[in-house]
Amino acid sequence: MARSWSLRRGHASASFPTPGAASQRPAWLTVLLGLTTVAVVTLSSWWIHQRADDTEPASGHSAAESPSLITSALASMRPSVTPESAALRVGLEHQPLSDAALARTSPLLGQAEARLIGIYRLIQQSKPREALREAEALALDHPNFQLAQLVLGDLLNLQTRPVKQFGDVADTQALAAAKQLQELREQSRRRLAALTERPPEGAVPSQFLALSSSSRHAIAIDATRSRLYLFENAAARSSDAQGRVSAAQMKLIADYYISVGQAGIDKRSEGDLRTPLGIYYITSSLDPEKLPDLYGSGALPINYPNGLDALRGNTGSGIWLHGSPSEQFARAPQASEGCVVLSNPDLENLLALVSVRTTPVIIATELQWVRPEALNAEREGFQTTLAHWRTLKSAGDLAKLQQLYSPRFENQGQTLAEWWPRVEDEVKAKGDRAMQVKDLSVLRWLDQDDTLVVTFGEVAEGVRRGVTKRQYWMREDNQWKIIFEGAV
Amino acid sequence: MLPPTPSLPQPPACRTHRLSSWRQLAAATLVCVSLGSTAAWAQADEYAEVNRLVRAGQLNEALVKTDQYLASKPRDPQMRFMKGVIQTESGKSADAIITFTKLTEDFPELPEPYNNLAVLYASQSQFDKARAALEMAIRTNPSYATAHENLGDVYAKLASQAYSKALQLDTNNTGVPPKLSLIRNVFATTSGSKAPPLAVTEVKPVVPSAAPPTTPVAAAKPAVIAAAPVTATPSAPAVAANGQSEVQSAVSAWAKAWSNRNMEAYLGAYAPAFVPTGGQNRRAWEADRKARIVPRSRIGVEVNDLSVQVNGDRATARFLQAYTSDTLNVSSRKTLELVKSGGRWLIVRESTGS
Repeated sequence: MARSWSLRRGHASASFPTPGAASQRPAWLTVLLGLTTVAVVTLSSWWIHQRADDTEPASGHSAAESPSLITSALASMRPSVTPESAALRVGLEHQPLSDAALARTSPLLGQAEARLIGIYRLIQQSKPREALREAEALALDHPNFQLAQLVLGDLLNLQTRPVKQFGDVADTQALAAAKQLQELREQSRRRLAALTERPPEGAVPSQFLALSSSSRHAIAIDATRSRLYLFENAAARSSDAQGRVSAAQMKLIADYYISVGQAGIDKRSEGDLRTPLGIYYITSSLDPEKLPDLYGSGALPINYPNGLDALRGNTGSGIWLHGSPSEQFARAPQASEGCVVLSNPDLENLLALVSVRTTPVIIATELQWVRPEALNAEREGFQTTLAHWRTLKSAGDLAKLQQLYSPRFENQGQTLAEWWPRVEDEVKAKGDRAMQVKDLSVLRWLDQDDTLVVTFGEVAEGVRRGVTKRQYWMREDNQWKIIFEGAV
Repeated sequence: MLPPTPSLPQPPACRTHRLSSWRQLAAATLVCVSLGSTAAWAQADEYAEVNRLVRAGQLNEALVKTDQYLASKPRDPQMRFMKGVIQTESGKSADAIITFTKLTEDFPELPEPYNNLAVLYASQSQFDKARAALEMAIRTNPSYATAHENLGDVYAKLASQAYSKALQLDTNNTGVPPKLSLIRNVFATTSGSKAPPLAVTEVKPVVPSAAPPTTPVAAAKPAVIAAAPVTATPSAPAVAANGQSEVQSAVSAWAKAWSNRNMEAYLGAYAPAFVPTGGQNRRAWEADRKARIVPRSRIGVEVNDLSVQVNGDRATARFLQAYTSDTLNVSSRKTLELVKSGGRWLIVRESTGS
């Protein structure tokens, strides 16, 4: 008869090992380190070496042992570009996962992510029971938050057995869902990296040469870090008659985990499953009631392909920022067909703040963070060029004006020759009145070309209403030339 | 704490026993019985009769018997417990849950009803409830090994469920619920009986120090552990079971030391007279063991199907050894011969194969 007797069962001997009893404490710590080594602590190895007041010697020990997945991921994420303006660049600051740092950062995060990071912090502090309690609450509130479920599974197992690695699932489960497991680990890694590599206080992405006060908010996406940064524009409504503006004054008010295209970034053609890189604006907000479940709580289309994309022949359409389907609180780092995907609560926060047409969305491989003053020279240099353009247009000097337009100019398939009659008409309609430039935004996109996306209100003097213009200026032989122009 | 057991008639001599657990309650009953109270004898007869009916497979009759008994002594915790076990064995889970729940309400100090509630909840895949009940059992008795073990199984199941959700695997198809150990403390199964529907755990009576010395009648007659009956009669089997439980503990400690790669405890489990197989001398054997055990990052040694034969101060333990390590997974039959020396059971011979 197949009767099984395990020595561990039903045995009342006092010397019996009782999980959780005080005598098991050392084993517990070992067990805990198993998880923290992979999940959390290695992140902070540099901080442990740097900080004298480090309070987690146990964690420090594990951190020093071996480079983890996260460490290597971080290494690969560190800016490797050698910039020509290195002195102006401040880069990201390494910030330890300390209570003080979390208190500072957590308000910026989506609530679920802040709770997840709080759980990591508890694990790091060797508080597995508290961590388990928090993980259970998080999984209860967001049963579709797969990463939280994975952490919960580890913490449950940790109550009775060592956890060897982050997401210590059974072999059968790992085989059945190898891709999901890898993606969840990657997601965790990126969320943690975003928490420990912070933009310095007051720094802005290098694209923001100037941001009009009509843009109340701005979005910048760091695709490598799977991160969306949301800024509030604190610029006063001040520009002189020339339309001159000062440095962008932007305040980081939120940052969220995001997913990009399955095939990554740098979209070139329709169906390539990539997310475009460049400077875009939100063009509309779609009614979530009319959207399929896949898009979650809403969608914000952006103007891909923009003027530069068109010039380069990039194709495709329907690039949105949108929410997540009901079965997934967050999607894998590379999951969409080219859209930028947020968790629904995060997207809802965006919906409440951003506005159609005026909110820029910068999507970069990797954001470069600089002090706003670092951009002064570039901005002022360009404003001189723009003032020249305004003067020529005000004076109706069409011949000289045309010299500011590139031979490569293109708008919806129209060449400069085909487009020029419109400029002539504008000059004619304006008559003698001078041209004013208001609400100027200048966003710089630097790749193989150096391009400025310039948006402003063009108003003739004495006229109440003007048009909002967008121009793309490209540096050609060290001269700024217009390659695209159109009303917004 | 002294559980309130006002309805349990006890001879005055027994009142001083502090009953911190069900097991001790049962044990104390044995002791009291041995002291010769007529009332206790009568009561023991009732338990024995229910016990006999259960062993004979007459669960309905056993249930009728418990109801008859409880009609006159409705609070009696032991009979109510037996009733719950019978209901569980009869597949009347809902009734059993009520019985054990009421027991936890009336006797919150007893861990066993919580444990058995957990067994029932787990069989219904209600793991959160099972976990809560087991945590109560452990709160009641922190060194309650069965509850810890069951809780481990529940945690593993909950973890597996969380992982399935994490990996978006089909959570409706995560296999059969784990079978937790049901405490059937007053019942004994013989090795020849049919397989019970749930894993059976015998609980050895922990005879309080107040117990009168008993003569080792059973010493000459090896008793197989599975057959060790815990009956109302405090006779030889209880003593044999004692020797057996000591040997079990020794085997358990040996397996644990091996699993923990605690070489001192592991080698200390072997008697000085231990003879390694294959003609190795002791020193070479110890060096060989160290070389095999210390470098492993993980070793798990589980002992299954253990049967122990005790014959005076010699014992033989036969079991299925499940060995897992970072490099190897292997199950094999193992026999350990042990000798009691200075109050400890030490291994004198170790052989593999049946």
